[in-house]
Amino acid sequence: MATDNANAGGFGEVSRVRGIVFEYLSFGASVFGLVALGVLLVYVSIDAFDLANASPEWLLTYFLTLVVPFLAFCLYSANDSEVTRRALAALGGGLVAVAALFTAIEAVVAPIPRLNWQLAYLFVVAAPVAAYLAYVGSRGRVAAVGFGLLGRLVGGAAIGLAVGTLFLVFDELVWFLAYTFGVVPAAALYAYGRWRAADRAATAAIPVGLVGLVTAVFLRRVVTVYPSDLVIYLWTIAIPVAAVGAFLVVDRSGRTVGIVVAGLPLTVATAGGFLAAGAGLSAPTVLLVLVLAGVPTAVYVSRVIEVGDGIVGLGLPILLAAGVAAGALIVEAWGVPAPDPWLDLGYVTEAPSRTPEEAGLYPAIVGSVIIIALVAVLSFVLGVGTSVFLEEYTPESGVLGSLTRLLQINIANLAAIPSVVYGLLGLGLFANLLGFGFGTAVTVALTLSLLILPITIISAQEAIRSVPDDLRRGSDAMGATRWQTTKNVVLPEAMPGIFTGTILALGRAIGETAPLIMVGAATTVFSAPSSLFSRFSAMPMQIYAWANFPQADFRYGVVAAGVITLLVILIGMNGTAILLRNRAERGN
Amino acid sequence: MSNTSSDTTGDESLITTEVETGSTQRTPARTAVAARDLNVYYGDEQAIDDVTIEIPEKRVTALIGPSGCGKSTFLRCINRMNDMIEVCRVEGDVEFGGKNVYDDDVDPVALRRKIGMVFQKPNPFPKSIRDNVAYGLKIQGYDGDVDERVEESLKAAALYEEVKDQLDSSGLDLSGGQQQRLCIARAIAPDPEVVLMDEPTSALDPVAASKIEDLIDDLAEQYTVIIVTHNMQQAARISDRTAVFLTGGRLVEYDDTPKIFEDPEEQRVEDYITGKFG
Repeated sequence: MATDNANAGGFGEVSRVRGIVFEYLSFGASVFGLVALGVLLVYVSIDAFDLANASPEWLLTYFLTLVVPFLAFCLYSANDSEVTRRALAALGGGLVAVAALFTAIEAVVAPIPRLNWQLAYLFVVAAPVAAYLAYVGSRGRVAAVGFGLLGRLVGGAAIGLAVGTLFLVFDELVWFLAYTFGVVPAAALYAYGRWRAADRAATAAIPVGLVGLVTAVFLRRVVTVYPSDLVIYLWTIAIPVAAVGAFLVVDRSGRTVGIVVAGLPLTVATAGGFLAAGAGLSAPTVLLVLVLAGVPTAVYVSRVIEVGDGIVGLGLPILLAAGVAAGALIVEAWGVPAPDPWLDLGYVTEAPSRTPEEAGLYPAIVGSVIIIALVAVLSFVLGVGTSVFLEEYTPESGVLGSLTRLLQINIANLAAIPSVVYGLLGLGLFANLLGFGFGTAVTVALTLSLLILPITIISAQEAIRSVPDDLRRGSDAMGATRWQTTKNVVLPEAMPGIFTGTILALGRAIGETAPLIMVGAATTVFSAPSSLFSRFSAMPMQIYAWANFPQADFRYGVVAAGVITLLVILIGMNGTAILLRNRAERGN
Repeated sequence: MSNTSSDTTGDESLITTEVETGSTQRTPARTAVAARDLNVYYGDEQAIDDVTIEIPEKRVTALIGPSGCGKSTFLRCINRMNDMIEVCRVEGDVEFGGKNVYDDDVDPVALRRKIGMVFQKPNPFPKSIRDNVAYGLKIQGYDGDVDERVEESLKAAALYEEVKDQLDSSGLDLSGGQQQRLCIARAIAPDPEVVLMDEPTSALDPVAASKIEDLIDDLAEQYTVIIVTHNMQQAARISDRTAVFLTGGRLVEYDDTPKIFEDPEEQRVEDYITGKFG
C-alpha cells in the first residue's frame, strides 16, 4: 500500500497510554471497592455469628457440611446460567415468601382494625369521582359529567356504606358465613357461566353474592354453633388458595398435575394443623403457614419442571438447609462446644430486650417490610402516573409547555433535597395536618414515597422517552386514543426501565433513618405493628438505637446481626424486583 | 363522532375519465378521498399549496415528486396525523366519505379507525405477531372471532404461510420485508376503507419490495390505496393514477399513470420523470 505521508516507514504503534492508564485505574478502584466491602462483610459476619469464639472442630464441621457443598454447587452451576437463575430465584423468592408470610400471619392473627370512615369515603367515593370527572372532562361532554357524577356519588356512597358495615360487623365467623353463602355460590355461578357460555348465570353471580352477604350478616345473630377455627380457616382460606394454585397449573400441565399441586400442600397442611392442635400449638397458624407457603412452591416447582431448564437450581435452598441441619447434628453428636451466634432464630422472631442475649429485631423487620411494600406501591403508581402525564399528555410549547418545563426542573431539584427536609414535610403534612399520627406506618410510608418520588419520576420519564416515536405513531394511526397508545404500546416497552429506576430508589428508601426520626418513628417497639396506624419501628432505626447502647455486646454483636439481617432482606427484595423486571423484558 | 364515518361513500361525483390501465374492464370509480383548496403550513413555511384532487375508490393512486414537495404531508392530512405536529396548520377541505375530515365534529381517532396507514420504516409493536395484527381489533373493541380475522389479514398480506407456526413469537424477529407485510396486515385487520402507504418499500431490499408491490396490486381489489413513493418505476408499475407534486407543495399534474409516464402535459413533469431534475 503506497502512502505518501511522513510515517511512510510503516504502521508504527499509535499511543494508547491515556486509555490504558484509565483502564487500569478504574479496574484497580473497582477491585479495591469490592475487597473493602468484602472485608467489612466478613468482620460483620464474624461478629454476628460469634465465629471468633468458635472452636476449630465446629468450624471444620460446618465448612464440610455447608461451605463445601455450596462451593461445589457454584462450580457446577457456573457454566449454566439457567441453573444459577433458578437457584437465585428459589433462594431470594423463598426469603421474601417467608418474610411476607410472617407479615400476613401477623395481620391475620392480630385484631383487624376498624375501617376509618374518612378513609373509606376517600377511597370509595372521592377518588373514583375525581378520576371519573377528569376522564369525562377530558372528553368534553359536560352534560355527561353531571349525570355520571350523580350516579357515581350515589353508587359510591352505597358501596362505601356496604364496605363500612362489613368492617363494623367484622369477625371471622361472619366471614365464614359470608364466604359460604355469598362468595362460594357467586364464584360457582360465575365459573359455570363462563364454562357453559351461559351469560345469565354469570350475570346472576353478583346479586347472588350480595344476597349471600346479607344473609350471612343476619345468620350470624341466629346461628350459635360453629366448626372449629381450624375448619373455618381450612374452608375459607386454605381450600381457595389451593384451588387458585390448581387453576394456575391446570391450563398448562393438565388435570393430574393440578390435583397434585393443590392436593399435596393441602393434605400436608391439614395434617399439620391437626397435629399442631394435638401438640398444643396454634392449629390455624400452622395450617395457614403450610398452605400459603406450600401451594405457591408447588405451582412454581411444577412450572420449572414443565419448562425443564435448570431444575437443579431449585436444590440450592434444600442443600443449604440440609447443610445446616447436618452440621448441627454432627456438632451435637460430637459434643463440640458451639459458639453462640447473635443472629439466630430468636433474633428474627422476638422483640427487642434490655439484655443483648435476648434482643430481637422482629418488630422492626415487620415494620420495614410493611413500609417498603407501601412505598413500592405508592411511589410506583404515583411515579409512573406523573411521568406518563409529563411525557405523553402535556404539550411541548405554549404556556402549558413552559409550565411543564418549570415542573420538570422542580422535580429534578427535589431529587437533591436532603432527606431531613422531607422528614419535616412529612411531620407537618401527614402527621399533623392530615392526622395520620406520629411515626405510624402510613405517615412514614407517605414520607418515604415523597422522598424517592423525584427519582422514580425522572427515571420513568427517561424510560418512557426512550420508547421510539415510530411505535406511538403506528399506534395512533391505527385509531388508538392517547390512553390506549400509552397503555398498550408505551408502558409495556418502558416497563423494564421504570422497574430499574424504582428498584434503585427503593434501595434508598429502605435504608433511610433521618426522615423516620423527624416524623417520630420509634427507635424501639416491643410488638410488631398490628395495623397501618399503630406505632412501629424500622430496621435502620433499631440498629441505630442499639449502636448507642453502653454495653459492648449491643454495639458489636447485636448491631452486626442487625446489619446482616438488613442486607439479606434488602438483597431479597431487590432480587425479587430484578426478577420481575427481567420477566417484563422477556415479555417483550 | 361515530356518525362521521358511518355513512360511507354515498353520493359523491363520479370521476369522468375511464381509468386506463391494464385492467380497463373496471367500471368508473367513485371518489374515495378528495381535497379542495388544501393549504398546509408548518409555522410560516407552506408545505402544500392549494391542492385540489379527487382520488378514486379501490384503485392505487401514487403520489410522486422530489423530496420536500409535500406528498407525505398530503398523505398525513387524510387521516389527520398532522394533528400530532404542533406547528402544523391546515386550511381547506379534505373529504372522506362525503365529510370534511377537518370539521369540528370529526374525532380524528374515529377517522383513523377507517383509514389504515403503513409507514416508511417497518414499525411492528414489540408484541407477538398475533397481537400485532389484532391490535386494531383490540383497541376498537372488536367482538367477533379475533383469531379468524388475524388469519385472514395475514393471508391478505401474503404473510400467513411464512409465519403460521410462530404466531406467538415476537413481530420483531421477522425480517424487514416480513415486518413491513406484518404492518400491512395490522393496517388492514380492522377492515379500513383506505390504506395510506408512506414510501413502504424504501427501507427494503428489491426482493422484499417486489413482494410488497404484488401485494399492493391485490389490496386494490378491496381497498383504496394511496401510496407515496420515490421510485418512479414502482409508481409506473403498480398505480392506476399518479399525482406529481413539485417543489413548494404544488400538485402539478394528476392523471392516469400511463398518460403521466408516456405523455405528460407539463414539461417540468417530463423533466422530473426522465431524471433531468429532482
